[in-house]
Amino acid sequence: MNSKTRPAEKIYMAVIFLFMYAPIVTLIVLSFNKSKSRAKWGGFTFQWYLNLVRDSEVLNAMANTLIIALIATVVSTLIGTAASVALTGMKRRTRSLIMGVTNIPMINADIVTGISLMLLFKVLHFDAGFVTVLIAHITFDIPYVMLSVLPRMKTISPSVYEAALDLGARPFFAFRKTILPDLAPSILSGALMAFTMSIDDFIITYFTKGSGFDTLSTKIYSEVKRGIRPEIYALSAIIFVAVLILLLLSDRMKAQTGKLASRARSAGNQKIKKIGAVIAVAAASIAIILMALTFGGVFSKKSTQVFVYNAGEYIDPDVIELFREETGIEVVYDEFESNEIMYAKVAADGAAYDVLCPSDYMIAKLIDNDMLMKLDWSELPNAQEYIGRQYYNSASAFDPANEYAVPYCWGTVGILYNKELVSAPVTSWDVLWDPQYKGEILMQDSIRDAFMVALARRGFSINSVNPDEISLATQDLIEQAPLVQAYVIDQVRDKMIGGEAAMGVIYSGEAIYTQRENENLDYVIPDEGSNVWIDAWVIPREARNAENALKWIDFLCRPEIALMNFEYITYSTPNTAAQEMIEDELIRNSKIAFPDEETLSRCDTYISLGEEGDRLYNEAWKKVKSAN
Amino acid sequence: MSKELITLSHISKSFDGQLILDDLNLVIHENEFVTLLGPSGCGKTTTLRIIGGFETPDAGKVIFDGEDITALAPNKRQLNTVFQKYALFTHMDIAENIAFGLRIKNKTDQYIKDKISYALKLVNLEGYEHRMPDSLSGGQQQRIAIARAIVNEPKVLLLDEPLGALDLKLRQDMQYELIRLKKELGITFIYVTHDQEEALTMSDHIVVMNQGYIQQEGSPEDIYNEPENAFVADFIGDSNIITATMVRDELVRILGVEFACVDKGFGTEKPVDVVIRPEDVELVPRGQGQLAGVVTHIIFKGVHYEMEVQAGGFEWLVHSTKESPVGTEVDIRVDPFNIQVMNKPESEDEQALGVEDV
Repeated sequence: MNSKTRPAEKIYMAVIFLFMYAPIVTLIVLSFNKSKSRAKWGGFTFQWYLNLVRDSEVLNAMANTLIIALIATVVSTLIGTAASVALTGMKRRTRSLIMGVTNIPMINADIVTGISLMLLFKVLHFDAGFVTVLIAHITFDIPYVMLSVLPRMKTISPSVYEAALDLGARPFFAFRKTILPDLAPSILSGALMAFTMSIDDFIITYFTKGSGFDTLSTKIYSEVKRGIRPEIYALSAIIFVAVLILLLLSDRMKAQTGKLASRARSAGNQKIKKIGAVIAVAAASIAIILMALTFGGVFSKKSTQVFVYNAGEYIDPDVIELFREETGIEVVYDEFESNEIMYAKVAADGAAYDVLCPSDYMIAKLIDNDMLMKLDWSELPNAQEYIGRQYYNSASAFDPANEYAVPYCWGTVGILYNKELVSAPVTSWDVLWDPQYKGEILMQDSIRDAFMVALARRGFSINSVNPDEISLATQDLIEQAPLVQAYVIDQVRDKMIGGEAAMGVIYSGEAIYTQRENENLDYVIPDEGSNVWIDAWVIPREARNAENALKWIDFLCRPEIALMNFEYITYSTPNTAAQEMIEDELIRNSKIAFPDEETLSRCDTYISLGEEGDRLYNEAWKKVKSAN
Repeated sequence: MSKELITLSHISKSFDGQLILDDLNLVIHENEFVTLLGPSGCGKTTTLRIIGGFETPDAGKVIFDGEDITALAPNKRQLNTVFQKYALFTHMDIAENIAFGLRIKNKTDQYIKDKISYALKLVNLEGYEHRMPDSLSGGQQQRIAIARAIVNEPKVLLLDEPLGALDLKLRQDMQYELIRLKKELGITFIYVTHDQEEALTMSDHIVVMNQGYIQQEGSPEDIYNEPENAFVADFIGDSNIITATMVRDELVRILGVEFACVDKGFGTEKPVDVVIRPEDVELVPRGQGQLAGVVTHIIFKGVHYEMEVQAGGFEWLVHSTKESPVGTEVDIRVDPFNIQVMNKPESEDEQALGVEDV
């Protein structure tokens, strides 16, 4: 009987572990992948780990994370332990009441805790940053310490403490000699728990961090928009291993506590002390090494500053350094992961940033809500000279008089197809409805892009809010659904490189380098027209350092700077002088990166649909998705 | 009688609005082995903790050797406590445990070393210096706890149900051990227990407590033989407690039959309670006793048989070395000096004060 069930048990366990660890193993494997593509194994490399060490922003964020975690751990361990001791002495009803209250930060949704802390700090006029994040971390760490210490405390008979008093010890001495040694393992385990939670936290940190301050989690998240760099796989792998070690230690600590309760263990006690000391020394030394790197950034506040809020991974870090060197202006640089998040932050505090880089439709919204400052073009000679007229024309769709925005990056949406798998030349969106490519088609999993394709195909405006046109487009998308292999966001690139699909709707910026990885791929903007998107620099109306913001924008419009950024970001630059300077002929002449004016004239930017329009699209999208 | 060492005067204490001690007065003399005896919740442990300084009374004073120590912290009192669950410091070895109080008093290493070996010898655990408390049996741990207390040379040793966690055989051994220790040390022991046998075995002086009041004080013999009320009679050993009428001095009517007794001064035709210990009830052949009855139950208890006899409408508890099978028709006979007459509580207040109404 037993021997029969055993293989089944083993398989069951194996499956569970597979599901739990497969994602992490994938991540760790990819962190050693030479190719940037997730679909292709380009050989083994430590490159990403080495890059990581040289990336001062990531190191800075790591230092912040560790310092916050260490201080929060120490403070919350002290408070949590003291609270546990005090609670044990209380009446049962008072105790459960207080426990209930202190557990709220733990049970409460992180987002609620995060937002309420943010509001509180705002009301108290605390400058969001290092201190606010630290306070927030201490707050949510305390219950974890108590969770570990309180149960142990309950098992300790107060008579041990009383016995020490009875033998002449003063109260604190008695506590230190009797209760503390018994509590030590659970305090250590609680501290490790708090440390892990602190390192792990994203949401609460995100809402309390303010501008110019990042921990690892917020740093990584801000890079999501542009697709995650392999360096981040490397970093995540390191974090995973570190957290794993901490958890294992914490578990050991608990196991020791269990053993302590039952039998003699002076040796065990020694071991715990040793482990504790090793952890403390290791953590402290890491902190000290990294503190030197970070302290300037954390605490300095110079008068000549510019607060920049850009999308993640949307600038060459060297450019920031160059700007700093040349102008002496301190750049406080923050990254957002979506236009909507950026909007929420700026709406909450209009003076938080001096210069932003939102997308077209969001700029329209900012203008509509009177949140932007008109630019003083006399301060922007480079922007006037080097940014191509055609891009200002495209920008006029959201900034009609070209008063507010200087284009920074742009791109189109088109079809990426595999010439080996698709015979006829692709010129129309119709090809996405061709039954012979059933199961070979990738669509964008986004409302606007999906409807853009359907609307453009029928010759309607890509910003249509006409219910009849929408309904036709919806019908078309439902018809197309059986042919579609998958609705995805950024996997089109990987799948196409890997030859997993014949064609897919893709952004030009993603498409540019796919030809290098797979020469059979080609990109086309269909004849019916498509979407062109533009991200542009704007200055919030309440900006404190508008002058510096103008300097920042104009600096970025210098051809050589624009070129640096193009090479780093790889999205098309509207800087015509920079385009001329691109060394790689293939890229300089790439139709993907720089389609001709005729093609571009067929493309429109998205504009805001309005509330009614949003509702219409959302309902139609639901129908499409449920038809799948 | 020796000198008064501890005086508790008008002590009251309540927890969560529940009165635990109400106007308690107690005098403890030097060199006595005093036992506070009573059921759980009677206030005996609270009384001990007030003496030890772990609780502060709501009202009243604690006088120690002529000094008011009511507000003195426990670490400043000249007494030491042996706790119910030993309360040894589990992360220290035996020697460190015993040395704990001495180190705080900054005694020399040699002094401490001598004291440790003296104390271990006293509790018959020589050579245990470097064992850890967890590796000792319950009885050994309790003896270490005692050793740890007595090396400090307290004037009074407080013992809070120290044998409660031990098994019967060990408990009995430890009782003799404690008596011996008390004699060797020549100090005052204040002992708390709910075990009447322990109290009777060890004490010079027993204080019976119930519901926050002292029910009776006296020597073990007094308490056992002359219980002042039904609670004490019932709590100390087994008893037949019967409602009766005092006909006149030295004559009491029990269950309709008149019995000669030795008590006087209760008046005439006065309702009283009488206590007759089960071993004082003699079973004699029908016609030779005072009250006719039938044996209804019998259990063999080792030393004696425990029987129940239905007689005069009352279930008598009888201990006898002679077996009388169930159904045997017998007579009950009680010697006059084995009948203990007690006043009946006249009001509900008095009832609460005196008798636990079960």
